[in-house]
Amino acid sequence: MRKALRIVALGVAAAILPGMAAGSSAPVKPQRILSMNQCTDLLVLQLVPKARIAGVTYLARDGAQALFPGAATGIPINYGTPEDIIRFRPDLILTGDFSLAVTRRLAKEVGAPIVEVKSARTFDDVRRSLRQVGAAVGEPDRAERLIRQMDIRLAGLAARPSARPVRVVAWDGGATVPGTETFANHIFQAAGALNIAAQPGGVFTGFDVERLLQANPEALLYGGGARPLVQNDESRHRVIRRIFAGRRIGYPEVAFNCGLPQSAKAAVDLRRQLDALPSRPQAGR
Amino acid sequence: MSRTLPMSLLAVVVLALAAGASLFLGRVNIGPHQILDGLFSSDVNLARLVVLELRLPRTVLAVLVGAALGLSGAVLQGLLRNPLAEPGLLGVSSGAALGAVVSIYFSLATAFSLATPLLGLVGALGAGALTFALGRGGTLSLILSGSAVSGLMAAFLAMALNFAPNPYAAFEMSIWMLGSLSQKSWDHVLLAGPFIVAGVAVLSTLGRAIDALALGEQQAESLGIDLDRTRVLALVGVGLAVGAATSVTGSIGFIGLIAPHLVRPFVGYQPSRTMLPSALFGAALLLLADIGTRVLHTSSELRLGVITSLIGTPFFFWLVVRLRRMAP
Repeated sequence: MRKALRIVALGVAAAILPGMAAGSSAPVKPQRILSMNQCTDLLVLQLVPKARIAGVTYLARDGAQALFPGAATGIPINYGTPEDIIRFRPDLILTGDFSLAVTRRLAKEVGAPIVEVKSARTFDDVRRSLRQVGAAVGEPDRAERLIRQMDIRLAGLAARPSARPVRVVAWDGGATVPGTETFANHIFQAAGALNIAAQPGGVFTGFDVERLLQANPEALLYGGGARPLVQNDESRHRVIRRIFAGRRIGYPEVAFNCGLPQSAKAAVDLRRQLDALPSRPQAGR
Repeated sequence: MSRTLPMSLLAVVVLALAAGASLFLGRVNIGPHQILDGLFSSDVNLARLVVLELRLPRTVLAVLVGAALGLSGAVLQGLLRNPLAEPGLLGVSSGAALGAVVSIYFSLATAFSLATPLLGLVGALGAGALTFALGRGGTLSLILSGSAVSGLMAAFLAMALNFAPNPYAAFEMSIWMLGSLSQKSWDHVLLAGPFIVAGVAVLSTLGRAIDALALGEQQAESLGIDLDRTRVLALVGVGLAVGAATSVTGSIGFIGLIAPHLVRPFVGYQPSRTMLPSALFGAALLLLADIGTRVLHTSSELRLGVITSLIGTPFFFWLVVRLRRMAP
C-alpha cells in the first residue's frame, strides 16, 4: 500500500513538474517531443501520435522493428547529443537515467523541460516510468491503459505458477550475461525461470563456455529480434549447438533491457516457450 | 644445426608441458583423474566434452597461431634486418582485423557462422596483396608500404567503430580486436589450420636467404639470392600464416616480436637458426598466455591480446635498455 502511494505521489509530481517548468497554468500538451534514449523512444512511440514527436534516437527503429514494426518510420532521428536540442527545438525532452549538464543548459535555453526516466529493474519501475512519461507528454489515461494491459498479462502469469523453476541462462557468447541486478533477471523470474548466472550483486558478468557446460541449464536464451544480431560466431560453438539443440530460445532483447509494456508480453512468451521445452535431457553429465 | 638442437629441444619440452597443462586447466575445475576417466569412458560426460571439444581445439589453435607468429617474426627480423620487425608490419594483421570487423558490422555471422574468420582471411590476403603491389622492388619500400597499408586498414577500422550501427556492434568489434582463443572450436582449427601450415611451409624455405641477407643486400645478391623472390615468398608466407591466425583469434601482439629475441642469443645470432626455436617458443608463449586467461579469475574474461601486451611491453623496455648497453 505504501509503495502504491509512493508511485501515485511520484506520478502526480511528474504530472505537475513539467507543467510548472513550462511556466503555463493550463496543461498544454507538448507538440515537439524529443526523446534522447532508446527506452524513452519506445515509451513515447506508444503514448503519443507520431505528429507530436520531433525526434527519436537512431536506435529507435531497431527497437520498434522488434516490438511494433513501422512505428518509428518517418520520425527524424537524433544521436543523443546536446546539439540535437538546438536542431530540433523541442518543447519536451525525454532522457534516460541522467542528462548531461550541457544538455540541461541548452534545454533551459530553448525552454524545454527535461524528464529523466530511470531505467527499469522491475515491473513496478515500468509502471512508474509509464506514468512519468504519460504525465509529461499529457497522456496519463493512455499510460494507465497500457499499465492495465501489462498487469493483466502479469496476473495471468502469476495465477499459473510453474511447478518448478526452469534453470536458464541468457548466453550469447558469454561476454555479457545478465545477472541479479538486471531487468532481464526480473523477467526470467516472472516467467518461472531460474537464472543460473544470478549471483548477489552481479549486474552483467562473463560466463565461460566451460562453466556453461558444467552448469548444464535446461535452456539457453539469446537476445534476438530486437537488434540486428551482431553476435559473432562464438555463440555458435559446435558443442553448444549440439548440446543445446532444440533448447535455445530467442527473446526480444530490447523488451528485456528497457522497461516496456511489451516486457510483460515477453515474459508470457518466454513462459510458453519454456513450457514447450522437451523433457529434460541428461546430456553433458 | 648443432646449436639449434638444444634450444629446439628445450622449446619442445616447454611446449609439451604447456600443452599438457592446457588440457587440465580451465574455468571449470575438473580433477586430473576425473579427466582421464572421462576420456576413456565411452558415454558422453562433462570431462570428455570440455577436454575434447573446448580445451583441445583451443590448445591446437594456440600452438598453430603462436608458431605462425614466432616464425613470421623471426623471418621478418632477418629479412628486414631490423630487431623491431614483427608480423603486423606488412599490414596483414590489420587487414585481417578489418575483414573480421566488417563482418561484425554487417552482422554477417548470422548468415553463416564462420563469416568473421573467413572475411578476416580475405582482408589479410587483400592487405598483403596491396602491400606487395605498392612495395615491390626494395626492402625499404616494402616496410614503408606495409606501414601505409597498416595505417589505411587502421583508418577503416576506426571508421567502422565510428559508424557502428549500435553500441553492441561497437562493443563486439572492440572486444574482438583484443584477441581471444576462448570458445574456439575444431571449425576454427579446420578453417585456419591449412593456411597457417601453408604459410609456415613457405616461410621455412627462406633460411638460407635470410642468412645471406645478414651480410647486406648486395652481398646476398652476389651469393645468388634472388631478393625479389625472397621478399615475395616472405610476404606470401606471413600473409597466409599470420592472416589466417589473426582472422580466427583477433590481434595478438608481441609474440612475433619477443620469440626471436628470446632464442637469438642461444643460437649464435644466425638468422636461420632462430626460425625453428622461434616458432616453438612462440607457440609455447601463446599457450602459456592463454592458460593465464583461464586461471586468472576475473569477472569478465581477460582477453589474450591484453595479456600478451602486458607481458610484451616490459620485455620491450628490457630490449631497449639492452640495446643501449650494447651500443658503443
